[in-house]
Amino acid sequence: MGVFTRHTGKIIVKIDDFFDTVEDGLLIFKEAIKCYLNDNSEHFQDYLKRIDKLESEADKKQKSIENDMIIHSILPQHRSEVAMLIDETDDLIDTVKEVVFQFDVEIPSFPASLNDNILHLTETSVATCEELIPALRAFFREPHNVRDKLNRVYFFEGETDNIANKIKKKIFHDMPKLSLAEKSHLRYFTHHIERLSDRAQGVADLLLSLSMRIIM
Amino acid sequence: MIFFFLTSGLFLGWSLGANDAANVFGSAVGSRMISFLKAAVISSIFVIIGAVFQGEGASETLGRLGAVNALGGSFTVALAAALTVFFMTRLSIPVSTTQAIVGAIIGWNLFTGSSTDLNSLTTIVTTWITGPVLGGFFAVLLYMLLRRIKRGARIHLIRYESYIRTGLIIVGAFAAYSLGANNIANVMGVFVPAVDIGVIDLGIVRLDGAQQLFLLGGLAIATGIFTYSERVMKTVGKNIFELSADAALIVVLSHSLVLFIFSSARLSDFISGLGLPAIPLVPVSSSQVIVGAILGIGILNNVRNINLRVLGGIASGWVTTPIIACFIAFISLFFVQNVFDITVQEDGNSLTDQESIIQYDQSEYPRNDQSFLLMENKNSSPPPLIFLTDICPLWNCTACFTRTSLNPDSMPIITYRIKWP
Repeated sequence: MGVFTRHTGKIIVKIDDFFDTVEDGLLIFKEAIKCYLNDNSEHFQDYLKRIDKLESEADKKQKSIENDMIIHSILPQHRSEVAMLIDETDDLIDTVKEVVFQFDVEIPSFPASLNDNILHLTETSVATCEELIPALRAFFREPHNVRDKLNRVYFFEGETDNIANKIKKKIFHDMPKLSLAEKSHLRYFTHHIERLSDRAQGVADLLLSLSMRIIM
Repeated sequence: MIFFFLTSGLFLGWSLGANDAANVFGSAVGSRMISFLKAAVISSIFVIIGAVFQGEGASETLGRLGAVNALGGSFTVALAAALTVFFMTRLSIPVSTTQAIVGAIIGWNLFTGSSTDLNSLTTIVTTWITGPVLGGFFAVLLYMLLRRIKRGARIHLIRYESYIRTGLIIVGAFAAYSLGANNIANVMGVFVPAVDIGVIDLGIVRLDGAQQLFLLGGLAIATGIFTYSERVMKTVGKNIFELSADAALIVVLSHSLVLFIFSSARLSDFISGLGLPAIPLVPVSSSQVIVGAILGIGILNNVRNINLRVLGGIASGWVTTPIIACFIAFISLFFVQNVFDITVQEDGNSLTDQESIIQYDQSEYPRNDQSFLLMENKNSSPPPLIFLTDICPLWNCTACFTRTSLNPDSMPIITYRIKWP
């Protein structure tokens, strides 16, 4: 019995740590985009490095959790689903890193009039993920409340889509001075930021079905 | 020679271990929560403890149904039950060792012309229905309680799962104990009146003749667990486990409680001490109680989940198993007696020089307290062997079948047969 308690205690801490890491990555993503839009390249580079580090930490923690679950036969009934949940949550921070690195490599040139819209889009997309993290934590402690918490995730995901559509329309309808290549490039980055909330929705769907199964 | 006659009982014990141990640890092993070896060791130890120290009550009830008093008879009755279980299992028909042995005993009664005690038969048959129903009732009650605790306590899913795993081991051990206590009667009950073995003093415990038989039966069950139950555990376990780990825990716990209730003489005495009707000590079908518990949880979750074919299978088993076992026992007894010239019934009226009869007024002594016999014979050293069965050696004397009569005041005299050392 003592053996079970020791292993379970360790893995619980690891899972909480993993969610903390993902949450940190999301917060830094928001700040990195802010810095990029404000031409603060020094801070942007700093955030880039931190995101890179957090992403690799999250990967290590994810693998460690999966290994522990297999070695100590933890959650044998739901192991594969929980492992998938952790894996898809890890995809969030992977996406964050990918988007920030694309900003660094491709250096998209947003007109100043779009800055507020892009910032709003980033905040809403990140909010979708931020609302997801408490739902993920709730899954392990109070699965009955997961559904309620996920309502906010779906709400912010819908908002993100609306904002992204508005931005895309603005780019293609209200900015005649931009070339088609520039428009496509900006639309491409808008889509990248929006993709983060789509990923969060995917995790939310998985979480919802898994929590229903746990409750049953 | 005695050992040869015991082989049919031991075979029955082996098949009980091979099949029914899956009800105890199937969910834990099937889900790989604990290893088969660990499950086999725990269940074997507790089955033997339960059989030796609490197996007597249910065995007495079977003895009242029909006191098979010759070794040849006991052998044939146990063999008939074992063959019934074997063939019905091969034909994939739901079967219970309990129902098979009851049918075989009735077959012996019919063959020898002995009367079947209708009170005992009614008690036993009633528990075939009340066992699964009680299992379902316990399962619903305990599952609701567990769900409430789970919801209120906000335990981390992983920690909760580890508690469930530990619970499955503890409850599994309790279930194995109850299985041994309750079902050993099926395995060795028919041999108790026929085999006369002296008390063995092992230093820390003294085992009377019946307990020594139960120990042998327990070892046969343990052999069945080790040699054949792994495959059954993995198959049955997965079927049960689809319910979820916590539901599986509740199912096993409900099963253990039902088996314990129907085999604990102390609990029965306590209940009757409260002025309530005493709980009959009867072997019940482990598998059917498990199914009752699973159905209980099914009803709680969704009524449409109930598989009526499973229910129909159980109900048909109540009828077909005893009839088939009775028929096989009757035919086998005919062959054993007439072809092999083996005695299948002793003349119960005759007493040997070493034996004597003692009678006492039941109302003057507490139930199950046999110390009066020793007190009245305190000058004999070593003390006399007391036939633990309370069935009157004057077999046709119905007035002696009074010990657990629903109305003991009407027939208070109980007769014991004592064998002097």
